[in-house]
Amino acid sequence: MGVALEKLPGIVERFPGGSVAITRLDQAINLARSNSLWPLMFGTKCCAIEMLMATGASHHDLSRFGAEVARASVRQADLMVIAGAIVKKMAPRMRLLYEQMAEPRYVIATGSCAISGGPFMYNSYTVVRGADEVIPVDVYVPGCPPRPEAFFWGLLTLQRMIREGETIREPGIRRKPVMAALPEDVTIHEIRKEIRGTLIDENVIDVEKSANEKPWAQKVREWIRKASSR
Amino acid sequence: MAGTRGLRSSRRALRQPSRPAPRVSRRRLAGVSVAQRLSGRVHAGAAEVSVQVRTLDELLHAPLIADSELTTQEYLVNMGPQHPIAHGSLRVVLRLDGETVKHVIPVPGYVHRGVEKMCEHLTYRQIVPYTDRLDYLSAIMNNWAVARMVEAAAGIPTNYRIETIRTIMAELQRLQSHALWWGVTGMDLGAYTAFLYGFREREIIGEIFEETIGARLTMNYIQPGGLMYDIKPDFAAKVKKLLPYLKDCIEQYETLLSGNVIFQERLRNIGMIDGARALALGCTGPILRASGVPYDLRAAEPYGMYGKVQFNVVVGAVGDCWDRYYVRLEEMRESIRIIEQLIDNIPEGPIATLRYNDDIILPEGLHYGHVETARGVFGVLAASDGTSKTPYRLHFRSPNFNNLWVVTAIAAGWRIADFIAIQSSLDLVIPDIDR
Ligand code: SF4
Repeated sequence: MGVALEKLPGIVERFPGGSVAITRLDQAINLARSNSLWPLMFGTKCCAIEMLMATGASHHDLSRFGAEVARASVRQADLMVIAGAIVKKMAPRMRLLYEQMAEPRYVIATGSCAISGGPFMYNSYTVVRGADEVIPVDVYVPGCPPRPEAFFWGLLTLQRMIREGETIREPGIRRKPVMAALPEDVTIHEIRKEIRGTLIDENVIDVEKSANEKPWAQKVREWIRKASSR
Repeated sequence: MAGTRGLRSSRRALRQPSRPAPRVSRRRLAGVSVAQRLSGRVHAGAAEVSVQVRTLDELLHAPLIADSELTTQEYLVNMGPQHPIAHGSLRVVLRLDGETVKHVIPVPGYVHRGVEKMCEHLTYRQIVPYTDRLDYLSAIMNNWAVARMVEAAAGIPTNYRIETIRTIMAELQRLQSHALWWGVTGMDLGAYTAFLYGFREREIIGEIFEETIGARLTMNYIQPGGLMYDIKPDFAAKVKKLLPYLKDCIEQYETLLSGNVIFQERLRNIGMIDGARALALGCTGPILRASGVPYDLRAAEPYGMYGKVQFNVVVGAVGDCWDRYYVRLEEMRESIRIIEQLIDNIPEGPIATLRYNDDIILPEGLHYGHVETARGVFGVLAASDGTSKTPYRLHFRSPNFNNLWVVTAIAAGWRIADFIAIQSSLDLVIPDIDR
C-alpha cells in the first residue's frame, strides 16, 4: 500500500481509520459543482436587468449552462453575481450576504461599477471603488452594462476554474488572497496599514543619500563650491 | 370549437373594467389650463389633502390597534435591500399585525451614488450619460430632459428631423419599458411565463436600438442640440414591420395575463389611491393617470412632435392596482399609434445643430426642463452662474421618488401579498429614487 500512496499522491491517500480512499472523486464532484451553480439574485442597478433578468429570459437562455436556478436567499445560492454599483451603505450588507453563503462560494463582478466604480469612479462620495474592496471576486466581466454573451463567457470561465482548481479537500482556497477569511483579531485596516508602510519604505528615495553614494558625488560638490565662491 | 369560444367570451367579460374607464382626448383638452382641467376631477379639493410624513421613530412606537379577534402579535419585518420584490435595493420596514400591514416605512439610499453632486463637475454634455443610469428603463427620455433644459436655456434650435426621431425613439422605449414591466409584474405575482414574454418584446425592440445606437440599455442618444447618431436607412421599414407584431403581442398579453382570474383577484380593488392624494404626493405618470387625473406632459405641454400627433391620455377609474396595470397596457397601444403617425414621413435634415465639441454655457439663473418618461415626469433643474461650462448646482426631479411614497400612504390595512402587488404596480426603479 505504501507504494500506491507514494506513487499517486493526491489521488490515493490514507483515511483516518486506516483504509484507503481514492480521491479522484474530487474531479467528479468539481464537474458536477461547476455545472450546477445557483446564482443569487443580487442586482443593485442597471446591470441587473441585463445580467440577471435578460440572461434568464427568452433570448439568452441561462439554463443552457446549468445556472438558471436564481435564488433570492443566500442560504440556497453558491454564486453571487454582483450586478451594479456598491455604495457605502450597501457594502456591509453585501459582505454579510457573502458570509452567509455556504462554502464553496463564488463571486462574479459584472459591469464597470462592480469592478472599479465605473462611471461613478470620480467625484462620487459614496460609491465603493470595486466590489473586491469588500469581498473576494473570482471573475470580472467588464462592460457598462456587459452584453449577456459577455456574462456567459464569464460564467464559462468560472466553471473552468472550478473544474481545474478548487477541490473539496481545500474548500475556499483561491489563487488570490481571500479577505473575507481573515484570521481572528486581524482587521483589514491593519493589513492595509502594513501594506502601505511597506510600499512607502520601498518607494521612498532619499535623494541626498543616494546622491552621496554616487562615484561622481565628490566632483559635483567640488564644482558647486568653486562656483559659489567665485 | 364552441367550447373554446365560450371560454374566450367569458374571459372578455372578465377583462372589461367594472366601471367604464373614461378616456380623455388630447384635443378636447386643448386651451384649458392644467389646473382648471384638474379641478374638475379632483373631488376632495387638492388644498385640503394633507400627506403626513411621520418619523421612523414615531411609526415604530405608535399604538397598535388589532383588526381581528385572533390573538396576533406585532412584528417589524425588514424587506430588502436584498429581496426579489425590491427590484434592486430598496429596503422597506413593514410593521405587521399578524399578516396585516400597519405601516410601511421605505428606507431608500442603498444605491445613492451622489449623481447630482457629481454633475457639478460635469459639462452639460457629460451629464447626459449619467441620466441613463438613473431610470435605466427610460434612458432616452431622461436624455431628452437634459437636452430640453439646455436647449431652452441656451436657445439652441432643433429641426423637425431631430424632434421626429426623438419622439419615435422615446415611444419605442416607452413600449420597451412597459413590456418589461408587464413581464416583471407577472413574475412578482407568480406568473413566470409572463416574464419570458415580456422580455421577448424587450429584446426585439432592443435590436432596433442596438442597430442605431449601439447600446442595449444605457443609450445616451439624445444630446443637447441633436442626436448622437443618425438612423440607418432601413430604420423606418424595420419599425413599421415591428408595429403590427407588437399589436399582436399586446393581444397576447391580454389573453395570457389580463384574463386570468387569479391575476385579476390580486389586482382589482387593491391599493386604491384617489386623484387628490396622488396629486398631493406628487405622483406622476401612469400612477396619477390611473387615479383619474388626466395629466400627461405630452398632452398638457406638448414637446417634440407630440403636439402634431393624435393620441389619447389614458385614465383609470378608481386608481387600484388593476387600473395601473391597464393604463400601461393602453398606453402601449397609444405609443404604437404615435409611432405609426410619424414613421412614414421622417423629414430630411441634419441630426445635430451643434458641433459635438462646441462649448455650452448657460445664462445665469435657474433652468428647468422636463419630459414624460415611462414612469412620470422627469425634470432637470440646473443653476448656472453664467460663466462656467458646468452647472453650479443640479437637481433631478425623478418620478419614482414621488411614486415610492404611495406605498406609505396606501399600503396600511392590506395584507403582505397585496403589498407585493401594490409595489409591483408602482413600477419602481430604485436607482432613480436614490440617485
Ligand atoms: S456598469 Fe454601467 S450599466 Fe452596470 S450598473 Fe454600472 S452604470 Fe449601470
